[in-house]
Amino acid sequence: MQRPSDEILIAYLDGELVDGERRAVMQALAADGALRAHAERLNDGARLIRAAYDGVLRESVPERLIAAARGEAGIKVFARLIARLARWRVLLGERPWWIGVPVAASLVGLVVGGGFGYMAASQQSADLVAQQAALNANFGSSSWLDNIAAYHKLFVNAGPNDRQLMDVPADDSGNAIRKAAQLPADFRLPNLKPWGLDFQGARILVVEGQPATQLFYTTDNKSLGPLTLVVGSSNKPDLAPTFDHRADLNMLYWRHHGHAYAIVGSADIGYLWNIANDIAWQLDAI
Amino acid sequence: MSASFSDQLVAVLPRLRRFARGLTGSAVEADDLVQAACERALSRTHQFQPGTRFDSWMFRIVQTVWIDLLRARGTRKVESEDVAINIGSDESVRRVEARLALREVQAVVATLPTEQRVALLLVTVEGLSYKEAAEIAGVPVGTIMSRLARARGAVAAKLETAKLETGSAFRGSTEDAETE
Repeated sequence: MQRPSDEILIAYLDGELVDGERRAVMQALAADGALRAHAERLNDGARLIRAAYDGVLRESVPERLIAAARGEAGIKVFARLIARLARWRVLLGERPWWIGVPVAASLVGLVVGGGFGYMAASQQSADLVAQQAALNANFGSSSWLDNIAAYHKLFVNAGPNDRQLMDVPADDSGNAIRKAAQLPADFRLPNLKPWGLDFQGARILVVEGQPATQLFYTTDNKSLGPLTLVVGSSNKPDLAPTFDHRADLNMLYWRHHGHAYAIVGSADIGYLWNIANDIAWQLDAI
Repeated sequence: MSASFSDQLVAVLPRLRRFARGLTGSAVEADDLVQAACERALSRTHQFQPGTRFDSWMFRIVQTVWIDLLRARGTRKVESEDVAINIGSDESVRRVEARLALREVQAVVATLPTEQRVALLLVTVEGLSYKEAAEIAGVPVGTIMSRLARARGAVAAKLETAKLETGSAFRGSTEDAETE
């Protein structure tokens, strides 16, 4: 039997051959140990090449690229970055980074219930936060995403066994969440088990002046990682799924039929996009 | 510009960055390339045909912008400043950590001619079919096959040489990277 060329062998490894060609290569491989070793080297090389670039997917996407994709001018992006940096520096000083989150939230009309203490801010910091709120309004971004990201970080750092973080335990069928967040009677917890995600509990929040709930999920899948889903009521118009990010966290948020949704996680945005589609499908009845 | 177009563009950014990183070999240059590609895509939204793959359309734009940049510089080959590592040097012999070994793989890829690199990145890294890669590159499927064979052969040969000189670092690096 004629030894297949590298083109054919690689096409075989890539699953690009039709049945007859594939069978011929399989027969050649079965009969030729050196060819099998060569195919293995090519396969190892392909695996290495993929691994060499996979890290890029786990990096957070630079702000300027998000802005470019949305058609925003560079100067706006720069202004947003400067305002954000100034805001955190003044508000937080040497304190843990998440302490100042409720201050920003209160000034843009968002109150988050829970274990964080309220920190009095100086006039200077209030001015900066107000400035940031104005910027947020201009750019369609909002500090409630900051808060959701902050709670997600807190949950990840504390771990799922820290029950003090949860207002509603994982064994609740969704009834307590539904009542506390004033969600409709037919609300059911989204089933994310097909994604390998296990529900760990929930916190009750107030988003845009309306009750909401933040659901936490964990997984053994390292490329996916822990996930937070926020479901709440909203009196704002429908909004298509919109991408944003905070530090190393990716976020997707959308509004549909009087409800606001957001998912947060460190997973690749493509992963989040698919999960968001699944959640939207499951919760469409709300 | 419709919101859904912009959303699709944002969603595909991580993969565009990966493709651009492979093309340019430089993180900064890759992001510049992706930004330029986004701007070009937004100015040509009418050229996108609904029902076709959005990611493939964007890969084609990234590749086109990259080739335009190379032509503007008057060169077909750009050495990577990020991954310019001399395979097989004394320094690389000491380098056994998985992350560094993977950077050496990037360095090997960066030495390939642009056409081969494009085929390798689209098929082997991005997982596109030969037909999709051929459409993006604007060449017949047979050309993609031969470019891919030359690229994969060259990478395998260089990595084999490096592996012989550095022990088993490369084989271990794949396993480490996949469990990260």
